[in-house]
This record gives sequence, structure tokens and C-alpha cells, in this order.
Amino acid sequence: MALNRDLRIATGAVVCVDSKLDGPITIGPRTVVHPKACIVAEGGPIVIGESNIFEEQCLIKHNANANTDRPRTLKIGSNNVFEVGCVISAKSVGDNNVFESNCFVGPEIEVGNGCIIGVGISLERPEKLPDNLVITGGNYNRTIAADKPPAQTLQLDFLTKVLPNYHHLRKPKDRPNVL
Amino acid sequence: MSYLVQEDFVRYECTCGSLSPIPKLYFCRHCLKLRCGYCVCHEVDSHYCSNCMEHLPSAEAKMKKNRCVMCFDCPNCFHTLSIRATTRAPEDGSNKGHLKHYYLSCFFCRWTTRDVGIPDQIASSGNWPLKENPHQELLSSFLEHYKVVAMRERSQKDKKPIFPRRGYSTYTEKFGLTNLIARKRAGLPSLPLPGKEVNPASIPPIKPCVATDVIDTLPASYFTDVPDLTKITTIAQRHANPMIQATVASELHPQHRHFFIKRSLRCRSCEHNVSKPEYNPASIKFKIQQAAYYHVPEIRIKTFEPLRAGKPSEIILKVTNPTSHVTSLSFSPKSEVNKGGVSDSVILDSLGAPKKTVEIPRPVVQDEPNTQVELPTEPIVLPARDDAAEYDDSGDTHNFHDDANVVVWRKGNKAAVKFRIVPDRGMKPGDRSIFSFSMEYGYVNTMPTTAEQKSPQRAEMQVNVLIAPGLIVGNLD
Amino acid sequence: MELQDIYYDKTEYVETTSGNKVSRQTVLCGSQNIVLNGKCIVQSDAIIRGDLANVRTGRYCIISKNAVIRPPFKKFSKGVAFFPLHMGDHVYVGENSKVNAAVVGSYVHIGKNVVIGRRCVLKDCCMIEDGSVLPPETVVPSFTLYSGSPATWTENLPDCTQDIMIEYTRNYYQHFVPRPI
Repeated sequence: MALNRDLRIATGAVVCVDSKLDGPITIGPRTVVHPKACIVAEGGPIVIGESNIFEEQCLIKHNANANTDRPRTLKIGSNNVFEVGCVISAKSVGDNNVFESNCFVGPEIEVGNGCIIGVGISLERPEKLPDNLVITGGNYNRTIAADKPPAQTLQLDFLTKVLPNYHHLRKPKDRPNVL
Repeated sequence: MSYLVQEDFVRYECTCGSLSPIPKLYFCRHCLKLRCGYCVCHEVDSHYCSNCMEHLPSAEAKMKKNRCVMCFDCPNCFHTLSIRATTRAPEDGSNKGHLKHYYLSCFFCRWTTRDVGIPDQIASSGNWPLKENPHQELLSSFLEHYKVVAMRERSQKDKKPIFPRRGYSTYTEKFGLTNLIARKRAGLPSLPLPGKEVNPASIPPIKPCVATDVIDTLPASYFTDVPDLTKITTIAQRHANPMIQATVASELHPQHRHFFIKRSLRCRSCEHNVSKPEYNPASIKFKIQQAAYYHVPEIRIKTFEPLRAGKPSEIILKVTNPTSHVTSLSFSPKSEVNKGGVSDSVILDSLGAPKKTVEIPRPVVQDEPNTQVELPTEPIVLPARDDAAEYDDSGDTHNFHDDANVVVWRKGNKAAVKFRIVPDRGMKPGDRSIFSFSMEYGYVNTMPTTAEQKSPQRAEMQVNVLIAPGLIVGNLD
Repeated sequence: MELQDIYYDKTEYVETTSGNKVSRQTVLCGSQNIVLNGKCIVQSDAIIRGDLANVRTGRYCIISKNAVIRPPFKKFSKGVAFFPLHMGDHVYVGENSKVNAAVVGSYVHIGKNVVIGRRCVLKDCCMIEDGSVLPPETVVPSFTLYSGSPATWTENLPDCTQDIMIEYTRNYYQHFVPRPI
């Protein structure tokens, strides 16, 4: 595997070697990246906060934008869950969101906080998702939940304990973040 | 390939005339006829909840309004609700430890009972409050009334000569669709009832509904305010609870889950079961299972040449004998009457009583063959099914004098047979080619039909088959 | 319609003594916790997460390309536990499907692009149509076809589903052959 010089992994993060990380990516503490997860920073750096889960086959894409010549940073907040097979190329992602299996979030979409994008939901039109939005079902029913989805701290504890037993991890390189 | 995932290329004509793929057909071993879902009696054996798998006999299920006591459906997306627990410190500040509180939540759309203000429960089984039907009183007065009416009718029916009892009850009996109602539905004048002069005063009175001329006008907000679609219920959500029909999402209320049923099927002419599952909903075994899949030779398309209008092409069909007796297949043009089987040997049913025949109306068959087929003239012998032969890789031990131009391959109880088909000249590319023929096959009935005949009976069966291999790809040239 | 031969590259697949055919392109995490009971096919880019909990399949299970078999987790007050995932005999999992179930019975057909939520229980002889979404903790009873999002009962399956599935998976295994050179 080619050494990704622009990769910064905070201590306490668990990043499996089997994952694909391209371009300048910063991964915050306690974040778990499962094997076969894929994060591609083509259009500029990706900065990932704390306690996120990236499951296998998920694809986070930061596409180059033809209209602006300056690279833009894609910020992903904390406590987000990216489930198996989701494809996210959003403009920005807040905190406490859940992207369920096989969902698609297109570019030009700003995801707020506490949103749940249900299984197989495909969002392509530019919009700004309000906080605590839940989109589910074949008819794309939208509701606003009373609370944000619960944080996955317990699952993170388990994964940070178990994954190192089975997978080779990428070494954390806690260099000062100079971006 | 699997019947479950493919469209129906090969369809058999049921005795009633409708076309079905072989897994959906039954074979009554008593009348030696094919039966499909439309020409058998469906009977409910047991009710069960698909979520908790609790099963109940019909009477008990009826008492519970055919709904599970334990499980609830989400009123928002109709998925089953799950019980979730939260721990909360006691409100009075005592140090008795944390109390567990339970609420219902939908794991699909994230709806919770908290959204609509249903209080959390202390027990996990929860005495979840149910919304009363606002018209409960009126409905129960109707129920009372018609119960008496029904009782009266039944007492009159009992006076009539009693018909020999069947071992089962039909829907009409169970749900009181009496002759009277049946006549009314058919638009016939009702029969004068003897003993109608029973004192009407003993019937509990009902208050008939009254139509009104005064209709309230819609509030102006309907026209001026922008509707918030996240707060208004959908038609499906309203219809899921017809008694309440909440119009705003905050009035949605969980409902008990409907039961699923296990059903057995009964041949309509001889009243023997053709399918009877085990009572337990988790079991996939059957007490009686007479699916055609186990009795009737199966036809599958192996390969065929591209179909062109007016041009002969070869098609290879694979035939399989599912029974444990040797059979011989012969093919002839489609016959008008689909006999199913020659049933001379089974005029009497197993009880020795004269067989009742029920004429079942024949549906109109829409698919007309548009392709000519050249059928093999010689019968094809298929050996019995042998499960052990599945693992036997050695060559075939049987010696068949097959015409190599007809039978192109053979293994165990299977054979591949070559046919030539010619789609009609007028057909355009994209049209579906359909051809049909009649298949005669020998069937060994191991069922003792009469007391004297204990040995298996041979019978000659016949069934019409419709095959739609695919679309026309081009013209002759 | 009879199944046509499906050819695979002989160098890509490993065949075990019990007849399992497993692609080298798969990701079998925690392979010591994965039991394939013989005559199973695991195709390219499928993922089986044995590292999270034990995964056991029966005989004649077909796991198609890009499918993910992932033991489900449950949250308790003291922590999270991943449950073992058991699969019966003669199970077909279509391409791109994600299986998070607790139990998959025998003679089960899961279509393409299906998502089976956490801790679902699929009883014997059931079928999930292509593109369906089974929400977490759904129980799919025997002889039913579920489809939609969220998946609900759509149809009953024929009584001979068991034999159809046995036939289908056996046939698939027999037709899954190395490409002739």
C-alpha cells in the first residue's frame, strides 16, 4: 500500500489497514474506520472529527469543484455513523448523524446535526438538511425527530477493543494539524 | 432455474382452466386431477403473530379481534414497534437505584410513543393505553341487535332438515353469510320466513343513523395556511386505523398487530385435503402435501435458438419425473378438454360414498398460442426418481432405445427432449411467442382407492401445457 | 428456464475439501470465527465479518458478489454485544445485499440490493425481493415473500418452496464451474 503522506490519524483512532484513504485526510480521536471503508479526498482535504464510525464499503468522496479554483475543506463533525455501503459526497456533515446502508447523499448538500438518512435513500438535489431530520422508506417520508439519535459510544468502546485483535492498524501520526 | 425469481415460462392448465406454473398447482390423489389455488377450498387452521410467533386457534383469535396482544405496529410506517428501556433516577430523589422505564419505538422511521405523549411504562410488557373507538357505544348496540337477529335465524334454520355434516365449516357458516344474505346479494327476493311473527319487542333497539343537511364549512386556515407535510398523516396511515383516522401526526396511536394465518387446502370435488401444514407456525413440514411438483412431470426450457417469425427453430425442453415410479410421456396437440386424468378407477371415494362432482366455471384463457410446434411421435420413458442417483456420477445404467434426434440428453429421472417450433409468419419482433401441447403421462396411484384394491393403480393422465420461451427477435430474412 | 453454466476463473477461487468455493477477492475478517459447512460459494468482493462475532452457514449457501454478512449488535446498559449470525442450509444471498440478521433459516432466498436490518429473524422458506429493506428486528415468517421499504408481506410462497430452494442452490453449485481453457 502506497504511503499516504497527507494522512493524519489522532491517537485513539482505530483505522484498519484494509481501508482505502486517498489524499489529505485528518482523522480525529476515537474514530473507527472498518476494513474496506473508502475515503477519497480529491477536491481538497477532509477533516473528520471525534467518535465517528465508518463501516465497510462506505464511500466518502470529496469531489473537486470546477467553479472554485481554491481547494475547499470537507468537514465531518463528531459522532456520525456511516453504515455499510453508503455513498456520501456532501458539502459538509455536522454531528450525530446516521447514514444508513446504501444511502446516497450527493454533492451540494449540507447535512446538519442529528439527521438520519434511511436505508437506500438517495438525495441528489442541492439542499440544506435541517437538524434532527429523519428520511426513511420507499416514499422518502420526512419527519423531524424530537431528539438526536443516541451516540454510539458503547459500540465504539467494543470496536476499539476488538478490531486491533483481528486487523493491522494504521499507526497514528499525531502531527500538529497544519492546514 | 428457480421458480421463485423467474417469470412463468412454462404454465400448466389446471382442471379449472386457469394457467399456473407447476409450484402453484396441487394434485388431488383421490380424483387424480390438478387443482390450483382458485379451485380449492381455503380453510384457516391457526392464527399466529408473525412477530412473536404466538399461535392461537381460530375461536380464541376471534375473541382478540385477530390481533396479537403483545405486539404493536408503528402507526407511521407500519413496521413492528420494539420495546426500549431507559434508566432514570427516581424523581423523589431516594437512592433506591435507577428505575427502568419502557417505551415503544420504531427502528425504521424512529417514531416513538413519546412523540405522541404516551407515558412511559414501568413494566416491559406494559399496559399500553389503547385509544377507545369513539363510536364504541353505537357499534356495540348494533352488535347486540344483530346477535339476536342471527340467533333467531339460526333457530329457524335448525328446524329445516339437517344436511349430512361435513368435517369442516365453511366461511359462510362461520361468518353467518346465510342463504338469506346470499340471496339478497344476488338480487333475489328474500324467502318468506316461517315464524317471522316472533315478538319484535325482544330485539334490543338500535338508533339508526340520520343524514343531515347541515355541513360545516371548512375553516379558512385550510385555504390560507401552508400545509406542513411532516405533521399531516397520509391516507395509508389513516386507513390503517379506520376507527380513529387521525389527521395530524401527533394523534397517531400504535395498534395491535394483525395475525397471520396458516391455512390448509381442500379439493372441492372430493373434499380431501391437498395441503395441510403442521399447526406450529415455525414448522415448514406438512401433514398432507400433494403439490403437483411431487406428482406431475415437470417441464423446463433448457435452451432454444433465436426465434424468428416463420422460421423453424429448435427448442430443448428438460422433463423430470418427480415420482418413484417409471412413467412414459407422449405429446399430442393441445386438446380441448383438459381431462386431468381418467378417473374411472376412482368413482368411489375412500369412504365408499358416491363421489360428489362440483362443476367449476372455466375462466377465459387470454393467451392464445401463436407458434406451431412439431411434437415427437415416440413416447419418452422416464425412470423413477432416485435420490441416491444424485450422487452417482457414473454413466447411465439404463438402456433406452431413444431416437438421438429427439432425446438429446438423459440422466436419472431427467431427459432433454428436442422440439421444433415455428412462430407464425405475421409476428413482429418483440412479440411473445407461445406454443402449447398436451402431455400424456402414466401415473401410479399408491392411494388405496377402494377396500378391495390395495395394489397401486396405474392411470393415464393428460395435461395441457403452455410454453412461452421468449420474444421474437426478427423476421425471416 | 434452466440455469446456464456460470464460469469462474480457476486462479481466483479456492476450493476446500468440504467443497466450499471461496473467491480470493473476498474479505473474510476473523476467518477463525467463520464456519462454512460445505458446498458454499462465496463470490468476489463479498465481506464476512467474523471478527465481530461467529458466523456459521449451513450447506449450499451462495453468497454473491459484493454481499456483506455482518453479525448484528445490541446495546445493553453495560455495553455492546455482537451476536453470532447463523445461516441455515440452501440460502441464497443476492449481489450487493447486506445481511445484519441474527438468524437466517434454511431455504431462504434474499434478492439483490437487499438490506436486512440488525437482529432480524428470517424463518425457514421465506424470500426477500430485490431491493427490499427489512427494518431491524423484523421477523419474516415461513412461506412469505416480503418486499418494499420497509418490507412487508406481499405474497405467500408455494408449499414446495423447500424443494425449489434445494434444487436451485444445488443446481447453482453444479453450474458454478471453472472456465474451460
